[in-house]
Amino acid sequence: MMNDDLERVAIVATAQTQLRSAWGSMQHVDLIGATVNDLLNGSGFRIQDIDVIIDCGSDVLDGRSISNCGFLGAMGAHHKEESRVEEDGIFGAIYGANKVSGGSADVALVIAYSKPSESSVAGYYSTLSEPFYQRPLGLDHISAAGLLANQYLTYSGASEEDLITIAFESWRKASHNKDVEMLGAPSRDDIARAVRIADPLTAPQISRNVDGAVAILIAKESVARKLSDKPVWITGIGSAIDSHYLTERVPGKMKAAETATKFALKSAGISDIKQFKLAEVSATSSANEAMVVEAMGFADFGKAINCYSENSAVSINPSGGAIPADPIMATGLVRLHEAYKQLSGGYGEVKFDKAIAHGAGGLGMQNHCVITLEA
Amino acid sequence: MNNTFTSGIGDDAVLEAQINLPYTLTTGKAAGTFLVALDQKIILGTTCEKCQKVIVPATDYCGACGGQNVGFLEMPHSGAITAVTKVDDKVFIFVHLDGADIDLLHIFHGDLSTAKVGARVTAKWPESVEVASRITSLDGFELAKDSAVGSSKPFTGTIEPISEMPYKLSLNYKHSYGPHYGRMFDELATNQRIIGSRCSACHNVLVPPREYCDICYAQTDLYKDVSDAGKLQAFSIINLEFVGQTRTPPYVYGEVVLDGSATRLIHNIGGFDITKAKEILTIGMQVKAVWRPKDQCKGTLDDIEYFQPVFE
Amino acid sequence: MRNVAILGVGQTNHARRRTDVSTIGLSREAVLRALEDADLTMDDIDSVVVCSGPVLFAAVNQPEKWLADAIGARNKPVVRVTSGGGTGLAGALAAVNQVRAGHANRVLVIAYDKLSEGALQYSISTLYDPFWGREFAVGIMGFSAAYWKSRMDLLGHSEEAAAMVSVKNHKNALLNPYAHVKKEITVEDVLNSKPLCWPIKLLDVPPISDGACAVILGSEDAAKKSENPAWIRGMAYYCEAENAAYRSMIQSEPLTIAAAKVYRQAGITNPRRQVDVVEVQEPYTCFELSYYEGLGLCPSGGAAELMASGATQIDGDIPVNPSGGCMGANPIGATALIRLAEVAQQVRGKAGAYQIEGAKVGLAQAGGGWANLRGVAVVSSEKG
Repeated sequence: MMNDDLERVAIVATAQTQLRSAWGSMQHVDLIGATVNDLLNGSGFRIQDIDVIIDCGSDVLDGRSISNCGFLGAMGAHHKEESRVEEDGIFGAIYGANKVSGGSADVALVIAYSKPSESSVAGYYSTLSEPFYQRPLGLDHISAAGLLANQYLTYSGASEEDLITIAFESWRKASHNKDVEMLGAPSRDDIARAVRIADPLTAPQISRNVDGAVAILIAKESVARKLSDKPVWITGIGSAIDSHYLTERVPGKMKAAETATKFALKSAGISDIKQFKLAEVSATSSANEAMVVEAMGFADFGKAINCYSENSAVSINPSGGAIPADPIMATGLVRLHEAYKQLSGGYGEVKFDKAIAHGAGGLGMQNHCVITLEA
Repeated sequence: MNNTFTSGIGDDAVLEAQINLPYTLTTGKAAGTFLVALDQKIILGTTCEKCQKVIVPATDYCGACGGQNVGFLEMPHSGAITAVTKVDDKVFIFVHLDGADIDLLHIFHGDLSTAKVGARVTAKWPESVEVASRITSLDGFELAKDSAVGSSKPFTGTIEPISEMPYKLSLNYKHSYGPHYGRMFDELATNQRIIGSRCSACHNVLVPPREYCDICYAQTDLYKDVSDAGKLQAFSIINLEFVGQTRTPPYVYGEVVLDGSATRLIHNIGGFDITKAKEILTIGMQVKAVWRPKDQCKGTLDDIEYFQPVFE
Repeated sequence: MRNVAILGVGQTNHARRRTDVSTIGLSREAVLRALEDADLTMDDIDSVVVCSGPVLFAAVNQPEKWLADAIGARNKPVVRVTSGGGTGLAGALAAVNQVRAGHANRVLVIAYDKLSEGALQYSISTLYDPFWGREFAVGIMGFSAAYWKSRMDLLGHSEEAAAMVSVKNHKNALLNPYAHVKKEITVEDVLNSKPLCWPIKLLDVPPISDGACAVILGSEDAAKKSENPAWIRGMAYYCEAENAAYRSMIQSEPLTIAAAKVYRQAGITNPRRQVDVVEVQEPYTCFELSYYEGLGLCPSGGAAELMASGATQIDGDIPVNPSGGCMGANPIGATALIRLAEVAQQVRGKAGAYQIEGAKVGLAQAGGGWANLRGVAVVSSEKG
């Protein structure tokens, strides 16, 4: 990435379907085809310019083994190199960036998609759990979120009110994001009084699963400069995995998110996280989001809430983040797309010169990935 | 192609599908032993050879350092709650058993309000179990206020571990038809016609219909009827039996390119003496669909009972 | 592009059924052997790529997350790459790209499958579109058999020629300490074996296996510290839309495209002469014949003749599957990586009883899906 003989790589275009509770009128292939088509339109690139497709989806969510096999045509992957990373799309973005940066491809398409509405999200998450000691007890993403939130409050000194605020801010921002289908944002009171779905978390504090697809185009510098008028450079990448057992993780903290951030900053040659004024982070609950924000270094232990006030130095999830709209396999790539949009004028006046995007996968957010961008 | 259209199959119609798969999972030595020990009301931990952590429940390898775990420890039944949540009627807890370095996930029996972090608990055993040697052979934990702090000791008994555990995975799906499949199955159900979509660039007709031509990546622009007869591109005589099979062997699996289309269709070839399949069937021969009676048709590929060889 | 080398290789002793270890234990075994072969510890590994068969072959979703804790990968980058039967090679390619980009200095690729645990044919049927064709599918066997029949008629890939492949590979497996099927058979045995999906018969089919393979890839820098690296001279992995217009089921286009790219990267213009040893992934014997042509070892329609000539025997001029190929062991999620590992060991002079003398250039082929995911790699003892 920051090596002498390697070309820099840039995101040159992104596209995303609206994120909806259910895209009942579309199959996976339809969402994928529409997204790739939108991506290419106006990008300066044609399907023939793409050398490799990295796709991210889940067999279990799709209800189909090697599900990418049935979607290759819709991705434009026919007779191209293709690889499926069965993880959040942001991990696919790392593969795409490496492929281009290392010289194996000039242009890479990374696409992530899912339709949780077609399957059982509890089934997807419970099958992630270890089959002898955890799954038979009924552990899934809801109970995992509750346990991790309980630990966060116990150890960090943060309050339930803090978590409600984080959820409130997320829903509020998402209600202005036309790419998130929403009926309206819940009030603080609505959130506090909602069903305690996994104590201490109320229902609106657990991420809402949505259907959607998102794609990004990555190109090497010489190509990016020729064909794109708004390249955004990928400056750093990092990922790290935490313990599979929730009981082995450091209570109240996301150590793997910390490590992933360190790797990303190191490869970007940036020593201070505070240089980033824009962060798009993924989360499966309000408490998990707080832990990610702290793990990245934006706030001390228990103090993530400070990043959600008006005078916070860093803007966390202007898109609303993942709590209102979590398409599972695509969530992190959506964050990357949102960050790209901010830096490339997709939201009007460009307010930031760099951004950091985060994604995660697994039960209780076990596997973390961080990418830094610069305009 | 325009995604708005009217279809007899509603815009949000779904196909219900189930994936039901049986497994026998291999436990490995540690879990195989731990689970049987529970039947005897014994809770086992292990020690990591490398970093010396006491790990509960017993596992073969230490996640923290990658070391091998050796020996079994008999753990006390007492400990303290280190995390808690309630989902529906179930209270999940992490229990730090006295003497362990890693906490155990299990169920708390009692009111959530009493399950405070730090509260002392003790193991609760079931009256009877439906299936032995499972994590549920331990019922969970209940409050044990002021219970004495126990300690672990090397396990000196003998346990005959299990090595396998049967498991069944059941997943249900509701697959959206989407605009093109919706239209295709509507034609099948209503008119017993097969349609594909035509690529606006190469003009090949693709069945099932799709938005983009796989080769040109141009949009398809028209639906087109294709014949219910075509060329037999390949076939195999099936004798294999397997779980989930929908036909009884022997039968002939065939791939057909319907006249007017450019893609392959999987089906069965029938209506002839299967024992003579090798002699009768030839690659490239014409075959034609034999439809079920209209009242038996459901709007799926199965409405075609089989494709029958056409003899000149 | 920066150079990448294989620094170490490990395989489990594959078995029809390993009852002594769980899937993660199985993988750990291969990882420890690869580390030992490379004289490294997990501390030296910067990144891990996990490959397994489709999730539904076993019962744990995203199993790399469970596996990471069994191999000391905590806090490292871990991803899983999948590609049906070709997953092992697809994973190796992901690792190659990590090294080429300077993202990692040493990457561990671990590929495994514990097929004894699930209902293989039924899980394979879930590959198919639930709307269109799933009810008629006969795993991958039905479809593979059907197109073998076509190639039989159009290219002369006879049952006899395929039987010779089975005989060769079974015989070669006798020398392979990791293989678990040790059976010397004759062409008659194959032809008389039970037809499952004719023309595929019982002895045209590899076993169902539990097994794992690990390969450690590293940068040129890392290779300097390695005793005996095998250099990656080319690697590519292509796909084809499974039901594109007039998809050629007779020759594999993604295979020929991948091979052409890899030969260009490796400077190979005449693979028959320039390659010393070949390992291909034959999910059924008929595929090996198909690969002879797809890899350019003989012209189209020449595979039966090549097989009959003895050239691809272990003592021939272009030995194919001296390890026994899939006939000795076929843990599907690991098989593709095993092919790469085997040619690497050949050019490192570490192939033991089935070493091809003087082997310097090895060719590996693998793939999966509906025969629409295809990868090729060339390794050499020389950096190039």
